[in-house]
Amino acid sequence: MKKVQQRFRRLLVDYFSLPSDTVLELPRITMLGDVHVYVENHKGIAVFTDKQLRLKITNGFVQINGSSFKLKMMLPEEVLLEGNISDIKFIPHE
Amino acid sequence: MKQLQMLYFTGYLTILVSGKMPERFFQKCTMQGIPIWNVVKKGEETCLGTIKKQHLSYIKELQAQTNYTIEIVQQRGLPFLWKRLLQRKPLFIAMIITVMFIFILSNIIWKVEMNGFPKDLEEKITKALKNQGVHPGAWMFRIDTPSSIQQKLLNDVPELLWVGVERKGTSFHLEGVEKLIVKEEDSLEPQDLIAEKTGVIEKMFISKGVPKVAIHDYVTKGKLLVSGNLSDSNENENEKDDKDKKDILVPAQGEIIAKTWYKVNVTIPLKGNYEQLTGKQKQKYYLEWSKLNLPIWNLKSPKYEEMDVEKVEHPVYFLKWKLPFSITEHIYSEKKKHTLNRNKEEAIQIGKEQAEKELQIQLGPKAKILSEKILHEIMEHDKVILTLYISVEEDIAQARSITQKSKEKE
Repeated sequence: MKKVQQRFRRLLVDYFSLPSDTVLELPRITMLGDVHVYVENHKGIAVFTDKQLRLKITNGFVQINGSSFKLKMMLPEEVLLEGNISDIKFIPHE
Repeated sequence: MKQLQMLYFTGYLTILVSGKMPERFFQKCTMQGIPIWNVVKKGEETCLGTIKKQHLSYIKELQAQTNYTIEIVQQRGLPFLWKRLLQRKPLFIAMIITVMFIFILSNIIWKVEMNGFPKDLEEKITKALKNQGVHPGAWMFRIDTPSSIQQKLLNDVPELLWVGVERKGTSFHLEGVEKLIVKEEDSLEPQDLIAEKTGVIEKMFISKGVPKVAIHDYVTKGKLLVSGNLSDSNENENEKDDKDKKDILVPAQGEIIAKTWYKVNVTIPLKGNYEQLTGKQKQKYYLEWSKLNLPIWNLKSPKYEEMDVEKVEHPVYFLKWKLPFSITEHIYSEKKKHTLNRNKEEAIQIGKEQAEKELQIQLGPKAKILSEKILHEIMEHDKVILTLYISVEEDIAQARSITQKSKEKE
């Protein structure tokens, strides 16, 4: 059922040219160099330490690694992370 | 980010959340729509975050449902400052008292300064001012405006020719000119006296000069009455010396009282309305802010049938600044309307008196009105129109300098 829904959404994006980030429920990640990461459309914080931020997304997690992390702003479905960012990883559900 | 503007005015605080996975607690909060910022992990089980003051109670509610503990680390913003100020009650009260003191003191007269008056006059002015309520220590808004003080002062102190009253902050400055009674100096220039008006001479008092007319003479306007040339009279007696003698010129002086006549027209209505103040008065005080009037004293309006309302504004000051509100005094004076009906005889009588009065004002206090006769009277549109013939006894002498006369001759 979920797969059908996903396929239908992709169709909407392709044929009606609707913005893909909202329709597909994917996170929009904006980075400013290696100091800021701005994540929209996430589904919640799973882990936050000063070296790691793991955010839930529709099918898995986004993991951001680095050091001296600080959440500059936390809003529902929005997060602004500040710190020294080394890498961003997508971890799909097992 | 828009949500985080104007934070200083609404107030914000930093809280320390401790428990297992403290970031989960913040996650829970954001899910409820509470914005959180500056989140830093302090240790394994502690996390710092900043929230708005208005969300504190909500967060405490959430905390009660969970196993986390919350500690307030820092409070920032105006509401907290205000609260802290309120907690220091003595300081707060002192501040209010200070403001009140400054307010009260800036509405009190501290000094009445006078410039350019002799000592005795200064004392008189001080007394007159005191009667008006202007003295050091008096309330500013209980006294009149400087211009009306000026007027009253001129009435109260007859020795003053002019006085300027000026308000400068909490002091009054008075400047003025004393009336100096200067004796009219004898005009040194030789002069004749001529007739100012046509009339019949009744009396003559000549202190200097040679009379050229006699009592009961009829003189026309401009006729020479008293000559300032003394040699005129000596001509006949000392004919021999005539050649050597030059004109002896003196300023002729004297009073020539003559009977003169005036034709005066007066119109008197038979019906009329007039208003009269009964003398009953009531004051009401308002605090006025632009167009808003707030009664503060004498709330009841007087129950006069007819009245005049006069508004007097007393500005209120704080230090040197005029405050936007003022204390306004409304003075209600009761009045009565009278209607007037007179018959013809009364109207004529009034017309005569009126004409006499007007003429007296025109001629000055020295003139004496002898008699009046009605030459003509008409009734028209409820009005009586009179033409009066009034005879007056007055001084008709007018000075004319001799040099001027000789020039005229040339």
